[in-house]
Amino acid sequence: MSFRDLVGFAIGALRGHRLRSGLSLLGVAIGVASVILLTSVGEGARLYVTGEFATLGSNLLIVFPGKTETTGISPFLTEAPHALTLEDAEAILHHVRSARRVAPIVFGVAAARVGDRRRDVGVIGTTSEFLGVRQIRLRSGRYLPAGELARGQRVCVIGSKVQSELFGARNPLGEILHLGEERFRVIGVTAPRGLSIGQDLDEIVHVPVSRGMKLFNKISLFRILVEISSHQEIPAARRNALELLKERHEGFEDVTIWTQDSVLATFSRVLSLLTAALGGIAAISLTVAGVGIMNVMLVSVSERRREIGLLKAIGVMPRQVVSAFLVEAALLSTAGGALGLAAALGATRLMRTMYPSFPARPPFWVLPAALSVSIGVGLLFGALPARRASRLDPVAALARR
Amino acid sequence: MQRDFWKLAWESIAAHPLRSALTTLGIVIGVASVILLTSLGEGTRRSLVSEFSQFGTNLITIHRGKTTTAGIPGAVGGTIRKLTLGDAEALRRVPGVDALVPVAFGSARVEFGERGRDVVVYGVTSEVPKVWRFAVGGGRFLPRGDPARASSFAVLGPRLKRELFGEANALGEHVKIGGRRFSVIGVMASKGQVFGFDMDDTAYIAVASAHSLFNTEDLLEIDVLFSLGASGDSVKEGIREALIRRHGGEEDFTVRTQAESLDVLNRVLSVVTAAVGGIGAISLLVGAIGILTMMWIAVGERTAEIGLLKALGATRGQIARLFLLEAALLSVVGGGVGVAVGMGLGALIRLAIPAISVHTAPGFIAAALAVSLAVGLGSGVLPARRASRLDPIEALRAE
Amino acid sequence: MIELSGISRDFQVGEETVHALADIDLTVPDGDYLSLMGPSGSGKSSLLNILGCLDRPTRGSYRLDGREVARLPEEELSRIRRQHIGFVFQFYHLVPRLTAAGNVELPMIFAGVERGERIERVDRALREVGLSARARHRSEQLSGGERQRVAIARAIVMGPRVLLADEPTGNLDISAGREIVRLLEERNARGLTVIVVTHDPDIGSRARHRIRLADGKIVSEENAVADGAAVGLRSR
Repeated sequence: MSFRDLVGFAIGALRGHRLRSGLSLLGVAIGVASVILLTSVGEGARLYVTGEFATLGSNLLIVFPGKTETTGISPFLTEAPHALTLEDAEAILHHVRSARRVAPIVFGVAAARVGDRRRDVGVIGTTSEFLGVRQIRLRSGRYLPAGELARGQRVCVIGSKVQSELFGARNPLGEILHLGEERFRVIGVTAPRGLSIGQDLDEIVHVPVSRGMKLFNKISLFRILVEISSHQEIPAARRNALELLKERHEGFEDVTIWTQDSVLATFSRVLSLLTAALGGIAAISLTVAGVGIMNVMLVSVSERRREIGLLKAIGVMPRQVVSAFLVEAALLSTAGGALGLAAALGATRLMRTMYPSFPARPPFWVLPAALSVSIGVGLLFGALPARRASRLDPVAALARR
Repeated sequence: MQRDFWKLAWESIAAHPLRSALTTLGIVIGVASVILLTSLGEGTRRSLVSEFSQFGTNLITIHRGKTTTAGIPGAVGGTIRKLTLGDAEALRRVPGVDALVPVAFGSARVEFGERGRDVVVYGVTSEVPKVWRFAVGGGRFLPRGDPARASSFAVLGPRLKRELFGEANALGEHVKIGGRRFSVIGVMASKGQVFGFDMDDTAYIAVASAHSLFNTEDLLEIDVLFSLGASGDSVKEGIREALIRRHGGEEDFTVRTQAESLDVLNRVLSVVTAAVGGIGAISLLVGAIGILTMMWIAVGERTAEIGLLKALGATRGQIARLFLLEAALLSVVGGGVGVAVGMGLGALIRLAIPAISVHTAPGFIAAALAVSLAVGLGSGVLPARRASRLDPIEALRAE
Repeated sequence: MIELSGISRDFQVGEETVHALADIDLTVPDGDYLSLMGPSGSGKSSLLNILGCLDRPTRGSYRLDGREVARLPEEELSRIRRQHIGFVFQFYHLVPRLTAAGNVELPMIFAGVERGERIERVDRALREVGLSARARHRSEQLSGGERQRVAIARAIVMGPRVLLADEPTGNLDISAGREIVRLLEERNARGLTVIVVTHDPDIGSRARHRIRLADGKIVSEENAVADGAAVGLRSR
């Protein structure tokens, strides 16, 4: 018996009861659609986060002062006995072969003032390399100047939000900005970037690193960003840098070095897990939909007892009877799955047009999984009714009207 | 009359036990999963809240920096205005303040002989056991004294002690912290993990010593314990005013009572639990569709019965109510079974993996049953209408 | 050629055993026109079911063209029913949602016959029962007689050797019934073995080979030889 004939027979049977077929199909559709929508949102979050990380520039090593055994990640809060110094940064640049650029960073929050206008801003004390390492674009003016002497100049580069809030419509270039007690001359404005992980770059003021250290009374750097020339050299570069700094810190390994890959990988993994968990929860509804299909098929079998008896009388084999009902159930669930898929894809597309910065998109494994699960649900929950149909006694079934 | 209705409805359901059971199976699965998920969420919330509360509920924490737009709360960098020991001492005079601990924080290597370990080091004062409710296991905590004076005393967390000393006595021994010599005068009792931090793998030294070791004058935070009689809000206000005066009129710090932090925690977790429950509830929607389908079919099968009832004088409204009642009964019974199954599974999980907390709040049970009822009524409407509109003559004539 | 010997069929009804058929011996040569008659409960339907391989005897041997089929597995019996046996029932048992053509096509679909060939054979079968004009009508739109004719078309479309009819005219009026009988006899004239169960003596007496059943046993058997010579009587 050809597959086409089998499907044709099943469709004919389903057509007979459009409402109940439609409702059963709807259940699967809702289940599949919800799984796809939820995992799309989760995946969107993951892509957003990893995308943002990519804008940090690739091939980066991030050096933190401090280290713990238990969590391995003290870096956010701690001080350490040995400061992370500008000399350390220079040493990395000179002695780690694959280090292409190095940007030392201090960070703090300060009160900025222009005339009467005040605002708290984040202040990054860094060098000219920061521009390249973080792939920052300028809206006007220039970035912090390069060179040794330049480290001490009282110049600053401001973010676009800082500009609009403190300078309004005025051109800020050449104007004076007060940070705390100090005065700085604005030499550049960064292009609007929007939210980046952890820092809104548009609300940041960039100053030369030694000015920053004086401003916040810090001896130790907050971070050192190191750009490595190629991806493959990162692990070796990390090892070199660790050894170098240990030597410089009297044998203490009191720094932590993260590679972007590891951070990215961790985030990615956590978010993927979350997404899968969400999908799993939504998938419970597919089980419920399967139960619905099973119930409807059982009713169908009991209503069509005479038909089944007839089929047996004309010589249809038991396994063909099973196939016929299995295909019917699978057809229901697959059609439902396709419907749910289409609806969910449409919805995610709508989301993407409404929120272009949030890439809501189902993870690659969800679409084939959803389709095969739809088929599977039908086969699984159709099995019982199909078996029941094949076991029907034709004599008894045909004896009645 | 009402009771007869119930009886009729129940008899219809009981007449086909297998069919009825299968019809409600969807609701059972849906409710069970929602109950299980929300129980897991609620259990987690409670255990986190109790972990939090072990610090004591009359605690106020002061952090440097206002949590505002600069992206990361001030904890990351330092403002140009720090929290200082002077600030901490000034706070003692605020009415209601019972005890306080200024906290400096850093990481360093602690060594004893050949062994060493990179751990978190807290720079604190003598009142830690009282304010943090941490008990001392052996020896004593740091002695009282002028917080501005450094000392060479150190107290170790039990895990750190075990790693460095094994089973041997640590009291009176000398360790090197960040290269400097300290003598061990106490070992803390075990506290375990708090929010992922291993509190047993830490060392405590005088705050002034920490400042010197880490080359800074900053405090990470100041923890204040207020007396039981005082109101948390008024003490909080007192602290705010005192610090604003000291900081030249600027409020560049954050004062938060335990209650507020707990409130945030509670709210976040409740939202998460509700969201998870909501996702699980999608299955209830699908279950509702299942009941609707089966009831619709049932009406079709029982046309003769309906026709008879009408011929015997039942009104449309009564027929409709009968079927509605049946749907509602099926649904609520399914909901009840689902609750039982969900709680049972929760209990099983609790037995199998004690680390996971499970707690079924009565509120969620009531909600689940209410939703089941709503589902039943909702899904029964269409079939009930179909039944009530059946033409009795047609119904009785059909075979 | 059908040979039954010692066929018995017992049913368990609660505590008791009902002997629907007891020790039946019967030979049905090819091309026979056989009628099974008897009061209700005499076992004629049970006998028909066994002859049609729809049911298995409790004891005894059933040889179909020399092959023992009584103990064959379900798959084999299905195949035999499909290829060699056609059924016509009192209540027609058409599939209500299918058209006349769709009903006739049914056995061929499950037998794996190609679509093109199916269409041809359906046309031919409907023509032979005179229903070409009604091919696209659904069974609910057909009269009783027409439905039974569709049933006959369905029964013969696979080219069986035996056609079993259980009270084929039981639900029809006289003229429709006559038409059905005519059709059956026409097929028989062309070599199809026809076995009819009926309680109507007018119909039953038309058969050349007549058996009367009572209490599960054959109580009389008459066999008219083709040239109308002496009748063999067997009485128990």
